[in-house]
This record gives sequence, structure tokens and C-alpha cells, in this order.
Amino acid sequence: MKRTGMEGSFAIAEAIKLARVEAVAAYPITPQTHIVERLAEFVANGELDAEYIPVESEHSAMSACLGTSAVGARTFTATASQGLELMHEVLYVASGLRLPIVMTVANRALSAPLSIWTDHSDAMATRDCGWIQIFAENAQQAFDLTLCAFRIAEDPIVLLPTMFHIDGFYVSHTIESVEFLEQEVVDKFLPEYRHPYPLDPDKPVTIGAFGPPFIYTEAKKAHEAALRSSKKVILRVWQEFSKLSGRHYSPVESYKAEDADVLLLCMGSFSETAMMAIDKMQAEGQKVGLIRLRLWRPFPTEELRQAVSKAQVLIILDRALSLGGTPPVCSEIQAALYPLKTRPKIVSFVGSLGGREISAQGFEEVIRHGVDKAKQGELDEFEIIGVRE
Amino acid sequence: MTEKDKTIEIRWHGRGGQGAVTSAELLALAAIEEGKFAQAFPSFGPERRGAPVLVFNRVSDVNPIRARVSVTNPDIVVILDPGLIYITDVTSGLKEGGVLIINTTKTLVDITSELNGPWKLAVVNATSIAREMLGVPIVNTTMLGALVKATGIIELESLTEPLKERFGARAKGNIDACRKAYEETEIAELSGIVEKPRKTFETETFPSWQELLPGCVVTEAGNAKQYRTGDWKSERPVLDHQKCIKCGICYLFCPEGCIGQNEDGYFEANLYYCKGCGICARECWTEAIKMVEEE
Ligand code: SF4
Ligand code: SF4
Repeated sequence: MKRTGMEGSFAIAEAIKLARVEAVAAYPITPQTHIVERLAEFVANGELDAEYIPVESEHSAMSACLGTSAVGARTFTATASQGLELMHEVLYVASGLRLPIVMTVANRALSAPLSIWTDHSDAMATRDCGWIQIFAENAQQAFDLTLCAFRIAEDPIVLLPTMFHIDGFYVSHTIESVEFLEQEVVDKFLPEYRHPYPLDPDKPVTIGAFGPPFIYTEAKKAHEAALRSSKKVILRVWQEFSKLSGRHYSPVESYKAEDADVLLLCMGSFSETAMMAIDKMQAEGQKVGLIRLRLWRPFPTEELRQAVSKAQVLIILDRALSLGGTPPVCSEIQAALYPLKTRPKIVSFVGSLGGREISAQGFEEVIRHGVDKAKQGELDEFEIIGVRE
Repeated sequence: MTEKDKTIEIRWHGRGGQGAVTSAELLALAAIEEGKFAQAFPSFGPERRGAPVLVFNRVSDVNPIRARVSVTNPDIVVILDPGLIYITDVTSGLKEGGVLIINTTKTLVDITSELNGPWKLAVVNATSIAREMLGVPIVNTTMLGALVKATGIIELESLTEPLKERFGARAKGNIDACRKAYEETEIAELSGIVEKPRKTFETETFPSWQELLPGCVVTEAGNAKQYRTGDWKSERPVLDHQKCIKCGICYLFCPEGCIGQNEDGYFEANLYYCKGCGICARECWTEAIKMVEEE
């Protein structure tokens, strides 16, 4: 199909339209605004037959989404940064109630100091909210994974809200080439959403009831089991989608990593810049490769172990801090690899906070520095790269 | 372990609003005042007037109390409301040689036939004492007197300060009620096999995590109907047909919605749900409804 030039936000809005979303409740926040503005236009001019609920805050946005999803309407929202934080408590309600809301987060740093620029602090702060979480690196992935997100979320054995992360500005505000799908193709891929127990006055149900100590643990075990087993469905849906589109997605994606002794692992749009560094270093004969974590929740432990099994050094570049602790992606990976008898040496970096960029050359330096640290055995503490002393 | 090393565990059975929490707190404060180690805490949950509640104490002469968990094998059980013995398993886990203390109008002999076991049984008509000394049937402080008499866990005098602190001007009535109960409590050493009163409820069973519907949705509409709020009452409304003018005001005010009109046009409470709040009696302007204590 023909490639079209389009801003990442609009490509997502296009996917939402093709998905025939029935309800959108959102509050604008940079850098997410373009997505929901475009959706508001679609609804206003009749291109999208959906209920658009303008709300007074993100807390209300997610609360409204609970309602629309619970009555059985395909529901979408988008937010970023402080907005995601304001939603925080409702995120847990959405997943606990098993409502398959789909949300785009245009990743952005958290205040203070006030920053509207990109990093993954907002994403990492919602790590444990019980949603499926997926990272997209460019407009094409954002388009594709949006469509897949509805299929995954609404699958009767999953029924979980799904958040997919795009980097603010670097994806949301970047115009690039995207291949779309025809409406008929999408319609076939994405059947109508049916919640098995919708709110319906003719067939009353109770949702959100009280969970005393004798039931709460069971409820959480069921939630945990559902989130874990959603991986099967995610794999199946992505496979099906690849047949449809020729574009492949998997929980852990390797780039030129087959013979690499040294692996760099990152998430989000700057993985693409990192690829350029890998290309260059490989051309110089260095055995380096790249791992991108696409699926963040459920955490793809098996796939990750597989992907790093032959490496000697694994350099993890987090784009958020866990202040006072180990950086979030690194601690997750350390936990996944700890039980293994042989595992690579792990070098932990944090970089690219609050919109500070890393160039392709910068990635080369990160890798070289990581290898040095591994050689020297300086592995017990993470390092913030590019910080002025 | 010597006697002194032992931690005495107490379980209080009361109803929301009867002050079991206060009793346990006062006991703990008095014990701590005596230089002992003590603890008091309720089984946390939604507070509903009339609903059965549990409260726990631990008291030790010499050891700090570490257990932060409900008492399941009590040395002492105190029952504030006689009706509770039919809806909860009050002697569950009560230790051999333990003490069971009941507020009841029944005699020792009568209650023994219902709650026999290898324990010491103490009875007192705390409701009538509380009515007399305090003017209300709130028996929590009264039952403290019975507890001290039956167990000697603290000195009666140690309660005076905590009672004064808690009740201020009303402390005297409470101290007197406590003392009167101390004097009137009757005690018998029982032996033999455990006898439990016939319960009027079914034991609940809970689903496994695999049986839960997604999001714990409840598909059975109106299942609150099964919920026997009638278990919460310690008083029930009795209607005087002579005075009733069939106006239906009681029906409008009942918070449980459990009053209905019968064939003769009288408004009657369904006692399966009536929680004994007394609102109907208060609102009935011909004073046709009287609240009568449950047995
Ligand atoms: S309010 Fe009193 S008089 Fe009126 S129906 Fe009820 S019981 Fe009878
Ligand atoms: S006491 Fe009267 S008002 Fe209260 S629940 Fe019973 S019938 Fe209803």
C-alpha cells in the first residue's frame, strides 16, 4: 500500500477512526493534544460515529472511560505526563474491573522542575497498575499497535485495558511516512467489541463491588493470571496482524543481535537512533547488537532470557529514574535474569531525561563506555550519562 | 512457660453501636496502667449499627505483645448481646479451661444447656444493670465488671481512671454499672462435652480465584435479598393494632424497606430483614410501635 506522510498523532487518530471507536473521553495535554483534537474533528464532521466526552480533567477522562467501556462501547483515551499521574488511581479501577480501554500515552517527563519534554518517567510510574503496556517507536508502529491493542484488550480471555506508549514529540509531533490499512481489512481484523457482562438495564449486574479480605486476594490473583496469560493473545494477534500487513511485532525485538557479544537494550523512539550506532559499529567489525523491549506488561521474561542468552555484556539504558533505587527497566531485567546460571554482565545507565537527546554518536559512546565498565567490573551502581559534574 | 509469661487473649462479641471497641480499649488502658502489656483492636470493616462485630484484647504481665492478628483461640470470650450466640459461633476456638462471659437474662442453668464445654461460664444481666444505672441498654462498661469478676485479669479499681477519662461527667454511672455487674455476675465451672446452640444462619463458602468472573462482576441481580439484616437486631418492633391507624408512615421511614402492608391493612415489619433500628417506632405518631428486646 502507498505510504502517506503524516504526523504520528494523526496516524493514531486514523487508527482510532478505522477501529470504529465508539467513545472517547479525554483532556488535552501536551504532547498528546493532537491525537484527541483530531478525534474531536472526526466526531464533529461525522467521520467517526462516536461519543466524544469533553471532561474537566484526566481523572474524569478515565472515569468516563470506565462507564463507556462498561456499557460495552469501544473506548479510547490519550494522555501524557501529569495527566497520566492525575488518572493514576482510576487506572487501577479500569484494570481491576477488567475494562478493555485503550489509551495512548505520549511519554513526557514529570514535574518538578516543570518539563514538557520526553522521557519515560510517566510510563514507569504506572508500571504496576495492571494494564497491558506496549511501547511503539514510530508512527507506523503506533498505527499498527493501536489497532492490535483493541484486539488484544477486548479478547474475551484478556479483557484488560491496554496502554501503549509513544515518545512525546519524537513520535507524536513528527511527520513521517505511514502505511494505512483499508477499512474492510480493519473491520475483518477487529470484530465488534462485546463485553461479556456489560452494564445493561435489562440485565442488571453489579460492578465495582466491595472486596473484603476474604475475596480481595482471589480477585488480585485472577487479575494477575489474566495479565500474564494475555501474552498468548498478544502473540497471536501480532502474528495475525503480520499476515495482514507484512509488519512483524514481538515482545522483545532484536536488531542485528545474532552474533553480538555486547547488547544495548532500550525502549521507545530513540531505539531507532541507537540502530544507527549499531549499524556503524558493526560495519567497523564490532560485535554489538540492539534489543528493544516492545512489551512492558506482562513482562516478557522468557523472550528476554532467550534474546540475551548469548551476550556477554548487556547495557541497559533507562529513560527514567526510580529515585533512590535501581532504574526501573534495569531492575526488572536483573530480576528476570537473576535465576539463570549464565547471564550477561549488566551495565545500567540512565539517560535522555526530560528531553535531553542522545545522538547516534552518543549511543556509540554509551556502548563503548558500557563495555569499559563491564571490563573494569564496575557493575554495582547505575550511572546517569551526560550529566554535568 | 510460667503463668506470668502467658499472654491472655480475649475475644469480644458485640454489635455495631454496642461499644465493644470501647470495652476492649478501656481494658487495655487499665492493664497498661497496672504496668502490664496490653493490646486492643477491632476487626476492621464497614461500621454498621447492629451488625455483629469482633474486638480483641491481649494482656501479658511481662511480655510485650507482638501478635497483630485476630484472636482465634481465645482464653476469654465476652458476649455483649445474648442474641449473638445464635448467629455466630461464639465459642469457636475457646481454650479448654477458658472463660465464657455472657450478658443474658437467662440463668446459669439455662444457658449451660446451650453452651456447655470445658470452661468457666459467667452470666450477668448486663442489659438490665445498664438500663438502671445508665438509662440506656449499652452494656460495654457493665460487661467489664463481669469480665474482671470472672477472670481477675485486672483490678476493678484500675478501670476508674480510664472510665473517667473516656466518659467525663458520665463516668460515675459507668463506674457504678461496672461495679454492680462485678457484684452480680454468677460463675460456674463447667466440664464435659462442647454444646453449641443451634445456629440460625448458614456458613458462607467463598469462591476460588478461578471461579471469579472478570472484574468480580456480580451477575445475580437483587442478591442483597439473601442478606439477613435481621441478624443485626437486638430489639424488634411490635405493633399495637388498637393504636395503629394504618397511615403507612412507618413504611415510608423504614431504612431497610422491610415494612409491608398485610391483608388486613396493617403495616408489619419483615423480621428477616428488620435490623431493629427503632426508626418506625420513633416516627409512628400514634405510638403504635414498641421496641421489644430480642431474646
Ligand atoms: S406509622 Fe404507626 S399508625 Fe401509621 S401505619 Fe405505621 S404503625 Fe400504624
Ligand atoms: S425497626 Fe422498624 S424501621 Fe427499623 S428496620 Fe425494623 S421495621 Fe424498619
